[in-house]
Amino acid sequence: MANMPAAPRERIVLPPHRQRARRPRSVRAREWVRKNLFPSWRGTLLTALAAGVLGAVVVGLIAFVFFGANWEVITHNRWLLFAGGFPREEAWRLWFSIALVFALIGLAYGTWSSLGRRDHLFVLLVGGFVIFLMAHGGAAVWSSIYFLIAVGCMYIGYLLTYRLPRATSSMRTLQVRLVGALLILALPIVLVVLLAGGNVGIRDLDGFVLNLILAPVGIVGGILIGIPLALGRASSLKSIAWTCTAYIEIVRGAPLLGWLFVALFILDDIIGGDLIIRAMVVMAVFTGAYMAEYIRGALQALPRGQYEAGQAVGLSQYQRMRLIIMPQALRISIPPMVGQAISIWKDTTLVTVILPLRELKGNADSAISQFEFTPDRIEAYVFVAVIFWIVAFMMSRVSQRVERAQGVGER
Amino acid sequence: MRLPSLQGRRLVSALLFAGAALVAGAVIGACTSDEDQQQAQAVEQQTQQDQDQPAAQVSGEPRGNTIQLIQDRGTLLCGVKQTQPLFGNRDEDGNVTGFDIEFCKAIAAAVLKDANAVEYVDASDASTRFELLADGQIDILIRTTTITSSRDMELDVDFAQTTFYTGQGFAVRKDSGIDSTSDMANASICVQTGTTTEQNVADHFTDIGLDYEPTGGLSQDVAAAFFEGRCDVLTADASDLASRIVVRDNADDYKILPQIISKEPLAPGVRDYDSDWKDVVNWVVHGLIRAEEIGLTQANVAAMASNPPNTEVARLLGVPFEGGSVSTLGFEVVDAQFIQRAIAAVGNYGEIYDREIGDAIPRDCTLNALARPLPSEAVDCGPGEGGIMYALPYR
Repeated sequence: MANMPAAPRERIVLPPHRQRARRPRSVRAREWVRKNLFPSWRGTLLTALAAGVLGAVVVGLIAFVFFGANWEVITHNRWLLFAGGFPREEAWRLWFSIALVFALIGLAYGTWSSLGRRDHLFVLLVGGFVIFLMAHGGAAVWSSIYFLIAVGCMYIGYLLTYRLPRATSSMRTLQVRLVGALLILALPIVLVVLLAGGNVGIRDLDGFVLNLILAPVGIVGGILIGIPLALGRASSLKSIAWTCTAYIEIVRGAPLLGWLFVALFILDDIIGGDLIIRAMVVMAVFTGAYMAEYIRGALQALPRGQYEAGQAVGLSQYQRMRLIIMPQALRISIPPMVGQAISIWKDTTLVTVILPLRELKGNADSAISQFEFTPDRIEAYVFVAVIFWIVAFMMSRVSQRVERAQGVGER
Repeated sequence: MRLPSLQGRRLVSALLFAGAALVAGAVIGACTSDEDQQQAQAVEQQTQQDQDQPAAQVSGEPRGNTIQLIQDRGTLLCGVKQTQPLFGNRDEDGNVTGFDIEFCKAIAAAVLKDANAVEYVDASDASTRFELLADGQIDILIRTTTITSSRDMELDVDFAQTTFYTGQGFAVRKDSGIDSTSDMANASICVQTGTTTEQNVADHFTDIGLDYEPTGGLSQDVAAAFFEGRCDVLTADASDLASRIVVRDNADDYKILPQIISKEPLAPGVRDYDSDWKDVVNWVVHGLIRAEEIGLTQANVAAMASNPPNTEVARLLGVPFEGGSVSTLGFEVVDAQFIQRAIAAVGNYGEIYDREIGDAIPRDCTLNALARPLPSEAVDCGPGEGGIMYALPYR
């Protein structure tokens, strides 16, 4: 399904006695309106009421966005919000990473899915939003060009893989392996590009860049911790099962807020390292406990027959897990894991609340504390909310694609 | 239809591969932050010392040597606020700026001979700021923090010379008919929670026997609530009120009552029982005030140092006067020219004030003016007005 782009939707053919002559579109539309919006005087009243409320909201929103708001607090502080204290002369590292990630997204979409009209519209809207931010108030011509190049990389990556014939299996396998490996290596590669050599240190991760690094580290680290934990909890060796259960229950039993306090005041004596590394560790450890439970749930959801079939054909315990059980379990647990991923994405704002680290929301607080912008806090917070929403929405959409490609719920 | 793609064993081996890659990434990340690790180790050693000598803390004998720690590390860890207009903030390039920040730079220039050798640690959160200091994650807290007896005694903090004097005041709308707190019976008052402000207003209303309705929150939130008309009165440090009102389009609709109900001396904080470090901080602040008193500025300090007009300037700047010897002023942990470097880095107290605060909070005749105005700048102040910025003598 997923690798059949633009497959025409099947038309439902009704049995002859239910077929009716199709009436003109205008008639159908009028009928729809009457039936759904004005069915009775009560319905009409409700429609009018809803339309009034909706109209007021839309008018108010337009009035705020285009006339009332002072977006200078955002456009003036673009860099502060985006990368904060990251050395400006090293900005190429950021743009290079963005282009890299965008290209990878393109490659992945081309390999496993396809870009539909909605995706292009989304790219256009978000891209337009970003370009508007950079074009407004003071020249950021180069940044705009870099961003456009990054978007270009995405489409190049997409066209490169999408155009490849999907039928020839050996080519296809190679492509899938290559792109899969790139996807998995993306995070370490980006970290190397951002931090290796030069005049940058891990402490320079700041602003939105910090959110964009913390969340993936938490999610990937969480999955890597979660898999062995889930298996361990289901283990027949009691000592291992108890240890894993204790880990999960203890870590899950306290709020992330509390664990971040631990990172700040206790972990520095135990594992040391920079505060950002400690925050990453805490995020991964915390997410791991949740991921473990989702995977365990998936393991238990698998029919016993799957285990027994593996045994029947003489697979070892390890082979059973690797070839039969885990692939299915991970597939089942995609939806809750994505939910957790979105949750940890939003929780990255906690590092400003608890730790002396500044991410997007913290830097928005700084922006509205600049003397001339103190009255513009609503603009700043609306902007932050929109940014978080865009990324969360993208995660949700991508996970839907993955689910469809992996056939979740279709077995 | 399912794809044979990231399924099955490929997915599993891919995830295992990711683990290895993540470890590699972490190693590389760690390699690039050698300096940070050294710092962390230095702080660790410091905390280790603290743990080793629990008795010393109780008996009040000297413990950790912060100044040595800073010099070994090569950077000053300055705990600052990043959300306070004028005092501690970040500009559009992500640089930390503000009145408090200038003192971090001055101290770094004095101790490390480099005003930029500062790592600004975010201490915006009022509730953890003293913990950061006590835990050794910062060397000094310069964050609009009020000196109070209970903080001095209960917490692991010692306060140095006050850098800014303010007091708690009230802002109201001009048409509200409120002229003093006695008009505020049952008024709703916006007040920042978790600070001395909240306690002051409670004490004050107990004293005058009136009820009021507090609305709490973070400082920027309560200010916004007031401007949106959700409370009748906003109470905060008078300087904070002034800076929040003056930027508004309708600034004329508001007024700040002349009544001040508390003393809020804002001062740098250091850890308890570390006299050498506190002394240096103290005398840097006094040095900047003294520089203003005797007309030393960022612009003329180099000329003054090469050709000092009198013994006092020579002593303050750590240079010989007419072939005499250089006095170290008795400081062993810093060299004789530490004040000179501080002035060269940020200018004198008045220059810092003008640059960072300027007209947003007028200085003339407030407590932050010099106790003895320069004859050329003499201004007529009303009764009860006038500055108390007074540098202690260097000799």
